[in-house]
Amino acid sequence: MTLTTHPPEAGETAPPTQRKGSLHRRRLLGNLSAAAIFLTPALALIVVLRLVPVVQAVNDATHTSLPGSTLPPRFVGPDTFTALFSSDAFWSSVRQTLIFNVVVNPLQIALALALAVLLTQNLPVTGVWRTLIFLPAAVPMTGSAVVWGIALRPDGPVNAALAGVGIHQQPFLTGQGQVVASLILIASWIGVGYWMIFLIAGLNDIPTVYYEAAAIDGAGPLRRFWSVTLPLLRRPLLFVLVADTVSNFVLFAPMQILTDGGPQEKSNFLMYDIFHNSFELADPHTAAAELLVLLALMIVIVAVQFRLLRSAEEN
Amino acid sequence: MNRTSLRTPGPSAASNSGLSTASTSGRTGRVVLAVIAVAVGIAFLLPVLWLIASTFRSATETFADSSSLNWHMLWPEHWTLGNIHSAIDNGFLRNLSNSVIVAALTVVLGMVISAMAAFALAVVDFPGRKFVFGVVVLSFLVPFEAIAIPLAHTFSDWGLTNSIPALVLPGLGNGLAIFTLRQFFLGIPSELAEAARVDGAGWPRIFLRIYLPLTRPALIGTGLILFLFQWQAYLWPILVTTSDEKDLAPVAIAKTFNAFSSDYGRVFAETAVLAVIPAVILLGLQRYFVASVATTGSKN
Repeated sequence: MTLTTHPPEAGETAPPTQRKGSLHRRRLLGNLSAAAIFLTPALALIVVLRLVPVVQAVNDATHTSLPGSTLPPRFVGPDTFTALFSSDAFWSSVRQTLIFNVVVNPLQIALALALAVLLTQNLPVTGVWRTLIFLPAAVPMTGSAVVWGIALRPDGPVNAALAGVGIHQQPFLTGQGQVVASLILIASWIGVGYWMIFLIAGLNDIPTVYYEAAAIDGAGPLRRFWSVTLPLLRRPLLFVLVADTVSNFVLFAPMQILTDGGPQEKSNFLMYDIFHNSFELADPHTAAAELLVLLALMIVIVAVQFRLLRSAEEN
Repeated sequence: MNRTSLRTPGPSAASNSGLSTASTSGRTGRVVLAVIAVAVGIAFLLPVLWLIASTFRSATETFADSSSLNWHMLWPEHWTLGNIHSAIDNGFLRNLSNSVIVAALTVVLGMVISAMAAFALAVVDFPGRKFVFGVVVLSFLVPFEAIAIPLAHTFSDWGLTNSIPALVLPGLGNGLAIFTLRQFFLGIPSELAEAARVDGAGWPRIFLRIYLPLTRPALIGTGLILFLFQWQAYLWPILVTTSDEKDLAPVAIAKTFNAFSSDYGRVFAETAVLAVIPAVILLGLQRYFVASVATTGSKN
């Protein structure tokens, strides 16, 4: 409404051309100061929430002190990193983190995509199914972890259901070979609906004419999915993939509440290991070094995503 | 399952646009799709139903009912409010109100900060804008959890532990919120701002009178993003709170669960209460969430 009434006024009150130079400069200054004011709170948060902790971590990682000692921490340079990189426990934690992420991220995105496609087909009461699938994202992760932890107990309902179809009791979270898979199940129950919503938003943005054109050209449903849906969904898909990856790399609550990194360190993912080193083992220096490694990994992932998004945006 | 859900949209889409040659196969396809949607919806719902049922029965009964497949797994035989009473008696309401206060402050302040930043990054033309945008979004897309532990050391040095500001602060800087709002602002025709500028309106006025009113759905979606982040928070609250009284509700639940003699009934009741609040909010606002995370917010 305002859209159609305003632009003509712009023409009427346009400034005379000879003053354009100084006006331009004034405008630039005005814009700069406005931008500074509008951005100050966000930039202040970046300093406090991102810069300060990184400086603190670098400081912690390059110093050492004895637990409980009152002596000031001593500078040791990269020694903590050297010790960390020669520790088997660290590499085992890296390995388990990678195993978890290599499975959980593609799985969650594939499921989220399948569900998003399914729930954009104008089925009866689609909103209800969407909400049901999205609901777990709203349950605080602590709650989901605790409920699943109880459900997966030997005497819990999941084993009862398995017994109902003739499968004998499974250890799930207490089984060396099953703990990672169980955590993947829990994380996916929580996460799939959340990422699905982003993909539904992306699917809604694809103009239907593309589908109609493809159908006229005789493209079958699979062909339309590969040639229309996937390419046009590239941006949201990339965003969701990396946002999901990043959030799964720092997944913490289920391990801290349910497994304590066990059994046999199989669920001792980096984020939990850092917490464990920092608090249970009272070794903030190793924890800080480990955290910087994780942080570097995160920044690489996010930067790659950002580049991909940029190129997707330009295309 | 994957295969079916990808293959079957075809016939239905074709029949919609009147191009299907066999409308019966289209109808069968739709029925299959609907059945899958129902099945998946129920699969996601089952744990929630079990949670609700277990809230209203004793822990002993929960395990007795869940030891074999039967109807009472999801429908208690003897209903009781004992678990909820036990949660209230153990101070859960205080933890819950801590959570509500922290989440409310986060949403309000976070929306203001994100909207201001997004406005500067989308509308105000200044040199280095692309660079600042990159820095802001990149730094906030690195998840907060990754730096929570060293930040907790700093906060305790600053004497900020056990305070509401300490709990609220991390929720305020949200890359996703800034990013989605910026996308929405970009979708508003720049002629609007141009015209207002020429009429002598300053940037704050343009922001408040033109951009904010036009982005209401995106703002609601952003509020939800901020709310969900804070409602989910667990690592940071355990790092900066040391007293049970100041604990947020999720931390209180984890403590109940890991206590020496776990009262599972209470755990269920507390989780159910904590889940009901966002569920009700989401039921009402889900469409705004979908709208806000859409890639364009063009109004024309």
